[in-house]
Amino acid sequence: MSETNNSTAKESRRGFFGSFSAWLAAAVGAVIGVGPVCVGLYTFIMEPLRKKQMPRKERDGGSSDPGFFRVASVDEIATDVPRRFTIVADKLDAWNFMKDQALGAVYLQKNEAGDISCYHTTCPHAGCSVAYEQDSNAYHCPCHNSSFNLDGSKLENGGSTNPSPRPLDTLEIKVDEATNTVFVKYEDYYTGRHDKVAK
Amino acid sequence: MFGKLYKWVDSRTGIQDSLEEALYENIPGGAKWRYVSGSMLVFAFMTQAITGIFLWMNYSAGSQNAWASVYYITYNMEGGALLRGIHHVMAQAMVVLLPIHILQVVIEKAYVKPREFNWWLGLVLMKITLALGLTGYLLPWDQKGYWATKVATELAALPPVVGGYIQKIVVGGNEYGHFTLTRFFALHAGVLPGLLVGFLVLHLAMFRKHGITAHSSKKRADQMFWPMQVLKDGVACALLFGLVVYVAIIHPAELGPPAEPTEPYGAARPEWYFLFLFQMLKYFDGSMGWNNEFVGAIVFPGVVFGFMFLMPFIARIKVGHAFNVLLIAALVGGAGYLTYEAHMEDNYNIYNEQDVDSAAYKKAAKYHAEVERANTEFRLIQELVEDYGIPLEGPLALQQRDPYTMGVRLFRRQCASCHAYNATGENAHLAIAGPEIDANAEGPMGAPDLYGFGSPDWIQGLLNGEEGGITSPKYFGNTSHAEGEMVAHVRDTMWAEAETDEDKAGLKETIEQVSWALAAEAKLPYLDYAGNQDKIESGINHLNDDTLGCVGCHNYKENEFGYVFTLDNYASSEWLTTMISNPNEVYSEDWGTANDRMPAFHSDATKLLTQDEIELLVRFLRQDRTLLGDTPESVEPLKAEAPAEEAETAEVTETTETPAPVESEEDTDETPVDTTQEAIEEESAEESEEEAEEEAEEEATEE
Repeated sequence: MSETNNSTAKESRRGFFGSFSAWLAAAVGAVIGVGPVCVGLYTFIMEPLRKKQMPRKERDGGSSDPGFFRVASVDEIATDVPRRFTIVADKLDAWNFMKDQALGAVYLQKNEAGDISCYHTTCPHAGCSVAYEQDSNAYHCPCHNSSFNLDGSKLENGGSTNPSPRPLDTLEIKVDEATNTVFVKYEDYYTGRHDKVAK
Repeated sequence: MFGKLYKWVDSRTGIQDSLEEALYENIPGGAKWRYVSGSMLVFAFMTQAITGIFLWMNYSAGSQNAWASVYYITYNMEGGALLRGIHHVMAQAMVVLLPIHILQVVIEKAYVKPREFNWWLGLVLMKITLALGLTGYLLPWDQKGYWATKVATELAALPPVVGGYIQKIVVGGNEYGHFTLTRFFALHAGVLPGLLVGFLVLHLAMFRKHGITAHSSKKRADQMFWPMQVLKDGVACALLFGLVVYVAIIHPAELGPPAEPTEPYGAARPEWYFLFLFQMLKYFDGSMGWNNEFVGAIVFPGVVFGFMFLMPFIARIKVGHAFNVLLIAALVGGAGYLTYEAHMEDNYNIYNEQDVDSAAYKKAAKYHAEVERANTEFRLIQELVEDYGIPLEGPLALQQRDPYTMGVRLFRRQCASCHAYNATGENAHLAIAGPEIDANAEGPMGAPDLYGFGSPDWIQGLLNGEEGGITSPKYFGNTSHAEGEMVAHVRDTMWAEAETDEDKAGLKETIEQVSWALAAEAKLPYLDYAGNQDKIESGINHLNDDTLGCVGCHNYKENEFGYVFTLDNYASSEWLTTMISNPNEVYSEDWGTANDRMPAFHSDATKLLTQDEIELLVRFLRQDRTLLGDTPESVEPLKAEAPAEEAETAEVTETTETPAPVESEEDTDETPVDTTQEAIEEESAEESEEEAEEEAEEEATEE
């Protein structure tokens, strides 16, 4: 008994990391302490960043031009009054695949010359949804008072602030003359930045 | 006996020592009421943990189930509303207690040397508590939580370089979905409470290590924690619990309509204790050179937090402590002011009733309208859930089949720029404002108010030539018809001829009967046709005899002299479908200005609405709440024993390919409507149209 006590005392005198076993214990401890967390964190971080794939049978359907969605016929777009159109496409939400879901919305309008412009409905400030209002003939965001002119530029409404860092995001469109159809390259952009950067 | 048992247990567990260790902490100057805030926070957290675990037993994360399970907890589960209510209110109590505790610690100098670590641990606990509030707000997956949290996660993407990754990791991908809920739930119920417990243990251990900050005084003797301070803490916590239960009962936790990613909620606000941050974002103008929002949402709060972190060191400088007290007071005051500002901005219309024309008023009114709309949507989904239950696909699948929910949405989006839907009475919650009509100006368009379209009341108003009738904005608004032939006929012929009160009474009676005869064409499910058979029959006779001069222009049954649209099937399901799909099919082409500016919503050229959407709108306008996919009950306005001569008359109809459902004409005897009959009808319709044209021309030449 007394011998064992003595050796314990000696070891403690040599310091906490005074022996090979101590280092080994620390190393093993680190592995078992951090290991499970690392495995968990890996999935937590990597899964959302992974590029998801549509089910095999659905992959090649739809538009021949990737990223472009059919939104409207040219006749449906009004002159000088923006109209809201929904982007409908197949959607993947984690383990569910759903056909023909509304992904988002855009505003489309024509000018007198017939040129079509297209704006994202997401406010570039903090991601709320802007709405066109007839009485002021402008876009307004219901959250932090950002507002925009019909051409998407920021509305400077004397006195009150307009926190949006940039004009409404325009989206690229393509008109198929044969079918009179408008396609929109629908993508989301990071909000709150001066530059328009696609997500 | 008990004493012996206790000794036995104590000798093996050391329970006596532990209890003494825990309870016999010296309090210099004795127990005081103002020491209760810390214990109250611990109690509040314990309540949250316990009620949270019981909520967990009934909650299911996932886009289809989250709202459904919270709905179940709130409205179906025995005691569920109280359980959720306590969890909801106690969370807010915690956020109120936090600044009180912090203020106290600062004022009493409990954060300075040697208690730096305890101060920092406290700051960490504060952050965890706020994070619990933020993550919990999303879990019911209702419109409010969804859209408010969306702003918060947008902010996660603000930091340069890594921002985008942070956002994706928090949201669980590019968009909100299952993973957003599963992640937020794991954070809310697992990670954050776990961290909170860990840091709380350290916080308490530090607290015990350094003891209570107060110094012994000569006036009051020191006391032990047990029993006086425990009693005071206990009483305070009991009062808090009582208050929370009371508030939870009188203000039950709200649940909004289910989250709908494509139906933006224009009144999205964070929980009130985050409103000051929400408000602050408004002041960082986008024209500021550098990344204004990053500064407003992250850098500025970060700097403030950094100052709080450094407070124990600042206190070492002369007047440092005074500075800290001022800083904390300024922070609490500033947050309070911003919260007040946010509240005043959203309620500007309530506090400034007279300032109707200002932009601030309109904005606030809009906010309130959005809140009202959400309440209506919730009421509608609640009715649906009670009638049908929630399907496996989730509440949205039910909403999307509901003519009322979708009708209101579609009407607002596609119709309300011209039409109003001024619902009243038990349908008042469905009302949709149309454009403001200024009869003297070119201004906004204004077309008929469509609430009750085709009903006797609506038609009686249309045929009323006096004030509030056909000339009111309710009918032709600013369309070209406002001064058209119909108005001229009703006002200048029908009503101008009725000079005496007696004449007018007679005219009114005729109009009432005619209105019922026309309403019989609409086959509206909410009308009492059976109780008004006499009126319908007299009305039919009046129309056939042309008492009011209707069939001079309109076709009606065997009267085929009209040159504008037929009154047969007027406002019926088929008629409305055709009218919305392509109004030009209802108005005959030779009637040049008939269709003022109503667009075709589903024609060969335009497909602004799908056929399903049109069907939903039609049912909404007819106040028929049969879900899409179910067949509406057939309505028979006239009893079978209709006059024999009418039964032979083929129906003159302009409705096109819409297959007529079981709604056979009121005057067909036992003849079932089949395709062959329809074909015959279409033929006869064409014939009669030609005849009508010819006859109209004849008439014109005669005149």
